[in-house]
Amino acid sequence: MAENVLEVNNVSKLYRLGEIGSGSLRQDINYWWKTSILKKDDPYFLTEDTPHLSNQKLWALNNVSFEVKQGDAFGIIGSNGSGKSTLLKILSKIVKPTTGSIKGIGKISSILEVGTGFYTDLTGRENIFISGYTFGMNKREILRKFDEIVEFSGIEKFLDTPVKRYSSGMYVRLAFAVIAHLEPDILIVDEVLAVGDADFQKRCFAKMKEVSQQEGRTVLLVSHYTQAVLNLCNKALWLNQGVVKDMGECAGVVGKYIASSQQFKLKQCWSPENAPGNDFIRFKEVALIPQFVNEDHSLNIRTPLTVKFKFWNLTDDSYISIGLQFFSYTGECIFDNQSFSKHFDKGLIEGECVIPGNFLNDGSYYISLLVAGDNSIPLFYLEECISFDLEDYRPEMKWCGKWMGAVRPHFPFRIEQTTFNLELYHK
Amino acid sequence: MSGTENKLKWVIQSKSSYFDFNFNELFSYYNLLFRLVRKEFLINYQQTLLGPLWILFQPILTTFTYVFIFNKVIGVGVGSKMPPVLFYFSGIVLWNFFSESFLATSKVFHNNFHLFSKVYFPRLIVPLALTITQFFRFLIQLVLLILILAYFILFKDFNITFTWYMLMLPFVVFTTGMISLSIGLFFSIITAKYRDLTNFVDISLRLLMFGTPIIYPLSLVKENIRWIVELNPLSSLFELFRLGLLGEGTVSPYQLLYSLVFMILSFFMAIILFNKQGAKLIDVL
Repeated sequence: MAENVLEVNNVSKLYRLGEIGSGSLRQDINYWWKTSILKKDDPYFLTEDTPHLSNQKLWALNNVSFEVKQGDAFGIIGSNGSGKSTLLKILSKIVKPTTGSIKGIGKISSILEVGTGFYTDLTGRENIFISGYTFGMNKREILRKFDEIVEFSGIEKFLDTPVKRYSSGMYVRLAFAVIAHLEPDILIVDEVLAVGDADFQKRCFAKMKEVSQQEGRTVLLVSHYTQAVLNLCNKALWLNQGVVKDMGECAGVVGKYIASSQQFKLKQCWSPENAPGNDFIRFKEVALIPQFVNEDHSLNIRTPLTVKFKFWNLTDDSYISIGLQFFSYTGECIFDNQSFSKHFDKGLIEGECVIPGNFLNDGSYYISLLVAGDNSIPLFYLEECISFDLEDYRPEMKWCGKWMGAVRPHFPFRIEQTTFNLELYHK
Repeated sequence: MSGTENKLKWVIQSKSSYFDFNFNELFSYYNLLFRLVRKEFLINYQQTLLGPLWILFQPILTTFTYVFIFNKVIGVGVGSKMPPVLFYFSGIVLWNFFSESFLATSKVFHNNFHLFSKVYFPRLIVPLALTITQFFRFLIQLVLLILILAYFILFKDFNITFTWYMLMLPFVVFTTGMISLSIGLFFSIITAKYRDLTNFVDISLRLLMFGTPIIYPLSLVKENIRWIVELNPLSSLFELFRLGLLGEGTVSPYQLLYSLVFMILSFFMAIILFNKQGAKLIDVL
């Protein structure tokens, strides 16, 4: 059992909206005089269009507790305004919690941004040193890592050029190279992966993975880019409006978070005026109709699903086929089910396709519909028209880890014993 | 749990005591301190025509202006046989040290908010770096002052005799630097909270200059209003600076003690305030 390296106990952070001053001493004294001495109502928030902000409190974090063990890759997810950044700033010692405490062991480095401690007028070489020192590296560490940093960033030729003359790509590479070579015991990373080109992101990612998995360091990754959290982390914490909504094994927490942040669309109808489509096809309706087999009416992996669609065909004498595409929430196509091609004239066309139960794995999915014409030429593509979640269902199973795979078919096995001795085995 | 609890070394809590100043942590960042000093020099003199020579031009130009305006036009005396150039130059050099490091320090939060909100390191490093930068600039200007002094001794029959006051010069410079750092830290907190007070800082610095014996010697101030100038803890330091360097100045031990006590008290108060308010300010800014 690995030991705790970080313990967060009941941390809360309160922001008083009215108190975050007016920025001028005269107004603050005036404010204090009117509210505290004359006992009048708050003069600054009494207009009709602004609500009474003076007493409004905002708990950016509310009783957040969690533990991080040595070697964990710990993801913190949540939508904007969920308190992720506040938690990060508290963990990084930049701001203090209102109540609660954090205990930890070892050196902690946090990266809230790429390029912290960089000065554009200085050369690349100077910046490596000054930024490294800002992040708490010592001289020996920087000297040892210097060549690696230069190599990683690929800026050998421009080492003695002021970084303001760098291309933005070079600048980001150098800045990340410095950060990537920090050697703290606990590394906290904000959504820095969101910068740079695809190739660079891949390299950052590989580096992060190396840090957390091979070097066994503890990493806290804060992101709403869930794929990053899924790939990198083994545990996750989901913050919602300052409260811990869920915590535990990564895939499960991330799945729940995504499901909640998605608006389920099980049915969409359009009138002819606003129907999506073009000169050939106009959609009237798409719907996902579950055939509930259980009583609590939840969509789970056993539920057979019927996808129904109606559209107007605007051209006579056309051959039309339908493609039904299922995507997982990460954008991977699970399958693409193509219909046969059939002759149609102008008018309303209806169709449906049944996805049997015990086929898809649990998770969040969305559906796109492709209407193709003669020779499979796409006529219209209705993207992400339906989205839904499938819950897990395992009545006779003690094991409760995440089931692997995109699909979860229930193909029958044939297993039986053919001999009752081990003679052949021992020979 | 209870087993690991003892091993967890550091704690982040809401309340910080006034006296939990972590000197070891500050010291561990000394590399950053010197890099920041280096940065100040590199940035200020990159892409300039005269580069670091500006450090010398500024006091030279000011001295000539002061000699012309105050000495020649208005006719402010500077002392019995002291060359006006030396008198003004010495005052300007020390005042520059004080005012520049005070101004730089007082804007620490304002100018470094972005950095402070993104990474933690002991905040005190930045004002220290700024003060040390100004100290090096002061040293360069001091060398010029000594060269001018040597010129006057060699070619102009100006005599100085060795006195014990000369040994007090490092004390003068140190105390001046510490006072500017302390008041600067204090104002860095206040101006970060109330931006309109930056105007107050600029104006009061200008007024303070007239309340300090820079363009006039303390001996020329009338007895009945001399207490106003003496109330200024910098006055005795400036007088002692001239006394040590040029052999003329009016200093009493009580005055020096007053400056020293002021320095110590303001320094501790400033450090405590800076430490306590530093983390809170990031929320407000």
